[in-house]
Amino acid sequence: MSAEYPRGNQANDLPFATQTLEEALATHGDTETVVDVDEPTQQLVLFRLNGQRFALPGSAVREILPSDQPVYYLPGLPTSTEGVLHLRGQIESLISLHQLLGLAAPEGAPNGMLLLVRAAGISSGVRIEQLDDVCEVAQSMLQPPPETLTATLQPYVSALWQLNEREALALLDPEALFDAYQQGLG
Amino acid sequence: MPQYRDPHEQAQVALVLFHVGPYRAALEAHYVLAMTDRPTTLRTANAHSLLYVGGDHDALPSRWLTLRDPQTASDNNSTWQLGVSGDITLQQLPANTLYPLPKLLLSRRFSTALCGVTLDQQQLVLLLDARKLSP
Repeated sequence: MSAEYPRGNQANDLPFATQTLEEALATHGDTETVVDVDEPTQQLVLFRLNGQRFALPGSAVREILPSDQPVYYLPGLPTSTEGVLHLRGQIESLISLHQLLGLAAPEGAPNGMLLLVRAAGISSGVRIEQLDDVCEVAQSMLQPPPETLTATLQPYVSALWQLNEREALALLDPEALFDAYQQGLG
Repeated sequence: MPQYRDPHEQAQVALVLFHVGPYRAALEAHYVLAMTDRPTTLRTANAHSLLYVGGDHDALPSRWLTLRDPQTASDNNSTWQLGVSGDITLQQLPANTLYPLPKLLLSRRFSTALCGVTLDQQQLVLLLDARKLSP
C-alpha cells in the first residue's frame, strides 16, 4: 500500500496558504483567549424592553412566567402597576419598568413574558417584552457603568456587558428598582 | 371557659361585598352598622372618590352603608355613610383566601384603606379597611 505525497515543487502548487511549523503551532498557543474555568461567574436573565437589552441577576429571578398568566387590575395605583397575579396561593404585584427606565410604554395590549423578581425582601412580577437567554457570564466581562450612561438609567444599572462593538447590555439592580418604585418613581 | 377550635376547622371572615364603579370591593361585616337606599346622615362619601382618581364621579350610589366614624372614636354613636352600588351580599370567606396587598404596592396606593385582595368566582375583590375610610 502506498500513499502519494507531494514532492518538490508539487507542494508549492497546492492551493493552501503555507506556514512554518512554528507559525502553525503559535496559532494554538497562548495567543488564544482561554476561559479560566475557576473564574467567578454570574447567572443573568437577558431580556429586552423597547428593543433595548437588559439583564437581571439570575439570583433575583425566581420564576419566568408566560404572558397568558391572568392579571387582575387594581384601581388607585400608578399606570406602571399592571395589577396583581394569583400564583399558587400567593398574590404578587405586576409592574412595568418602562417609566422608571425612561422608555416609551409599548402600545397595545401587554404581551411578552413575566419575570418573578425577589429583592430586598420584596417580590413582584416584572413585565418584559422578550426573553433572550439565561446564561452564566464571567464576572470579568461585567464592567462598571460608564459615566456617559443616561441619568435616568444611572441609578438602576449596576454593570454593563459589552456584547460586541455595537451592542451593550445593562445589568439592572433589582433592589434599586423596587426602592425607586416604592418612593414614587415610575 | 376557654374555647377550643378544631385545628381542621377553616377560619372564616364575614364580609359585606358590593360594587365601587366597575370593581368589586368588601368591608368586614363587623364595621357595617346598617344599609339604606338613601343617605340618612350628613356625613357621606361615594366609595369611588375615596379609592381612586377618575371614573364616573357623577354616578349616584344605589346603596348607602352606615359605618362607625373612625375620626370620632370617642363618640360611639357617630356614624357616616359610604355610597356603593350593585348587589350587596354578606359572605363568609375562608381566611386563607384573603391576601394582603403586595408589599411593593403599599406606598403607591391612592387610599390606605385598600389593604388586600381576594378572588371570588374568578373575580378580584378589593378588601377595604373600614377604619381607614373616612368622608
